[in-house]
Amino acid sequence: MALLVAENLSVGYQTQKGYLHAVEGVSFSLGAGKSLGLVGESGCGKTTLAMAMMRLLPPNGMIRQGRIFFDGEDLLQKTDEEMRQVRWKKIAMIFQAAMNALNPVHRVIDQIAEAILTHDPLCDKEEAYEQVRGLFQLVGLPQDRMRDYPHQYSGGMKQRAVIAMALACQPKLIIADEPTTALDVLVQDQILQETKNLQKEFGISIIYISHDISIVADVCHDVGIMYAGQLVEYGAREEIFDSPRHPYTKALLSSYPTLTGEKNRLVPIPGETPNLIHPPLGCRFCDRCSRASVSCRTETPVWIEISPRHKALCD
Amino acid sequence: MIDKGKETILELEHIVKRYRTGGSFFGTYGKDVIALDQVSIRVVRGEIFGLVGESGSGKTTAGRLIVRLEEPEEGKIYLDSNEIAALKGNALREFRRKVQMIFQDPYQSLNPQFSVFDAVSEPLIIHKIGNAEARKDSVWQAMKSVGLSPPDDFAHRYPHQLSGGQRQRVAIARAMILKPEFVVADEPTSMLDASISAQIFNILLEMREKLHVSFLFITHSLAAARYLCDRIAVIYRGNLVEMGPGDEVIQNPKHPYTQALIDALPKFGYSGEVKRYQTLLRAEREVSEYVGCPFFSRCKVADETKCRREKPPLKRLGDSHSVACFYAEPGVKTGSGGKE
Amino acid sequence: MTVTTLNTDRKLSERFHWISRLLEGWSIYRKSLLGKIGLTLLALFALMALCSFIPPWVDPMYQPMTGVDPEISYSVGPSMRHWLGTDFMGRDILSQLLAGARIAFMVGVSAAFMSVVLGTAIGMIAGYMGRFVDTILMRLADMIMVMPTLLVVLILAALFGQLNIWTIVLIIALFRWPGVSRVIRAQTLSLKHRPFIEAARVAGASHLRIIFRHIMPNVLPLSFLYMTFRVTSAIIIEAALAFLGFGDPGTVSWGMMLQWVWKTGHMFKAPYWLLPPGICISLITLSFYMLGRAMDEVLDPRLRKEGETD
Repeated sequence: MALLVAENLSVGYQTQKGYLHAVEGVSFSLGAGKSLGLVGESGCGKTTLAMAMMRLLPPNGMIRQGRIFFDGEDLLQKTDEEMRQVRWKKIAMIFQAAMNALNPVHRVIDQIAEAILTHDPLCDKEEAYEQVRGLFQLVGLPQDRMRDYPHQYSGGMKQRAVIAMALACQPKLIIADEPTTALDVLVQDQILQETKNLQKEFGISIIYISHDISIVADVCHDVGIMYAGQLVEYGAREEIFDSPRHPYTKALLSSYPTLTGEKNRLVPIPGETPNLIHPPLGCRFCDRCSRASVSCRTETPVWIEISPRHKALCD
Repeated sequence: MIDKGKETILELEHIVKRYRTGGSFFGTYGKDVIALDQVSIRVVRGEIFGLVGESGSGKTTAGRLIVRLEEPEEGKIYLDSNEIAALKGNALREFRRKVQMIFQDPYQSLNPQFSVFDAVSEPLIIHKIGNAEARKDSVWQAMKSVGLSPPDDFAHRYPHQLSGGQRQRVAIARAMILKPEFVVADEPTSMLDASISAQIFNILLEMREKLHVSFLFITHSLAAARYLCDRIAVIYRGNLVEMGPGDEVIQNPKHPYTQALIDALPKFGYSGEVKRYQTLLRAEREVSEYVGCPFFSRCKVADETKCRREKPPLKRLGDSHSVACFYAEPGVKTGSGGKE
Repeated sequence: MTVTTLNTDRKLSERFHWISRLLEGWSIYRKSLLGKIGLTLLALFALMALCSFIPPWVDPMYQPMTGVDPEISYSVGPSMRHWLGTDFMGRDILSQLLAGARIAFMVGVSAAFMSVVLGTAIGMIAGYMGRFVDTILMRLADMIMVMPTLLVVLILAALFGQLNIWTIVLIIALFRWPGVSRVIRAQTLSLKHRPFIEAARVAGASHLRIIFRHIMPNVLPLSFLYMTFRVTSAIIIEAALAFLGFGDPGTVSWGMMLQWVWKTGHMFKAPYWLLPPGICISLITLSFYMLGRAMDEVLDPRLRKEGETD
């Protein structure tokens, strides 16, 4: 049975200018020990989706419809207290620019130990410190730096510390929102590889959110492409990259310069993303799509199954 | 692609740039950080030259030295064979007309109180070019050339009403309106999404074609450099470690750092899990700063005695491909057979 | 190809961008209770100032300084003839109060304006030029800030005899610019290294152009804000000076009124004379302060309350 199932999720924000449809009708499932990459450019709703799953939306955000099943239970039905139990112990989150989430006035070891102690009241301080030692080893941080303050760490080290914090309570699922954007190329690669190893070793499921499809390509089993609040293509990594179907996926892939292969002229996507306060009726990509037909504008697009592990919102 | 006979438009000769940090009022000496150590680069007219490096490599500093936002401690910079450090007054103004810069952060490089029209016409006003009518024509033309069409729609907008990609286009229009000879593009797309970046890349290529501008393209992405640049130089902690024709450096990298960069780049799920070069150490070695090869602390194939103590010079390996490594050899290499 | 001129074709709000910004600022300002109260009070005082011309026009005996009521030559309480009563010479208190409002605005706004202009210019130059210039200007500012304004003015008054009202305004301005300049300097320092300033340098802009064309527009909102605070201190200083007897004897200000009350021994005998100017001074400074606080919200987006994004 899948660990996480999102069913027809729609999330939005109440703003001065109206209701912003940030996420519309997103459904996906994630098996235990598998990783899913959610890719989309700015404004596509991926961070909103992540926050909605953790029920961490700001006061003007609301989940209009849909259900999120985690381990068989609907997260949207839980009370605040119950969600607090779920967070960190079952689902951990690594936020964007997480390295800045480390409190500069506390030692790193204390911050991670605190996460452990908060969620496991039976544990005592010594045990917590012992666990932190183990975590440091796991993420590749030197033991003699445990008692340092965050400002003494490099960017890569801070990111590793944040990953250690996420792993502290042995969650079943980690949602990582752009965890490596601020890091250098070499460090980013190291951390991605280590994350993959940790995932395999402990069977943790990961939802990896990024605007960079190339990162996701290396790390995730399944990939979901988001555009203007909707999931437009979803499937196994190999199938998406070998045979992308949705025009946006194809366009996205051809706007990345590659290191190998032919040096084709990069084809940017013309136009701008649609206004999500008054979203268009039909396909949301049709204004920028090279294959748009009249019906695209008026008809709601339907999912087309290309293979058991690959579906797209267009054909 | 590059004519050997073409003239040099910009040259950096043994540039050294130091920053002093941590000194106090009472005269205790702060630590010196060497941002650029003996960097020499030659850019040919009409070329797009890529300077590739990670944060702290000094690539941005090099760009700033070229546009004279800062001055080097040692070394000389030449524009069209004229040394730029000595320029003052009108000569400096002429220089500023010929050399421009596109900044990294589109959210900060435009004055929030200036409309698009104000921002793009500013350089013309500064250099007292044309009257109001002529200026308006130039601005319209510049805006159209970067794709901000129709200009009427955009001219009165303010930065906060534009997207990141649009703002960067305004920055490009502003840089190009004086028809400069040389432009430093400092990571112009690192804060933009991929599909928008692609637009910007293509605009830069068009500028090169139409206006015959030469570029120094500063980036952390080897893939972007490969797409845009005729020649690429790789810089690590203030030192040039490899330099040569773009395709050559990427297909046949000789320096362990370049090789590590190529290994680290995501490959869209292809080429399997095995790294091609494997020159990176997982944990860094302890080193004394500024002694020996700058990459020694992370180099898997380094020699404990030689690489720790001596700094390899940038040496030519034939067909304009230079590498700063004791163990680099000409010819094609598939893996590295160095010592641990 | 026809060349469309810039002056046609555009909507008014686009052409005068500052109009749309003003409207946007107003809608935010309106939401603040303090702002509304402050503005209302100020409108009241402004009305008073405008109406100050009415009583003398009605009847010369209502002249604030020289008006003489043929029937009354001493201080008497409120009556139908004199709504607030008369002072020790039989002059109408209400007309004095109204004239005082005029003076308060004049002094307050001009002194504030001058000190802000000076402070902004000096702050920008110090912040932008840095090093030597900065050090000198800021040391000067420090020295002035340390001096007690009132004391110095008193000394000057003692030296030169009675001071003219405009001299007082000038002196207040000269003593009040340091506060503004510090804030403007800090703002300039933070702007100096922003990429758009560097872009202007790379484009070849001269230092002067950068200061006045690039930095100043970004710093002016702060200046305006500080002006409101300066007004309160200017009014108080003028009132204090007048109260202590160093004001301009030819003008009627609220402080002057208080001086007369005190000097003629009517402090506890004539509350109808003592209270109005005192209350007015307090209220006008309070209202400027409230105006400043509300404007703070308009200018600094971070202070705005939730739900007011964009």
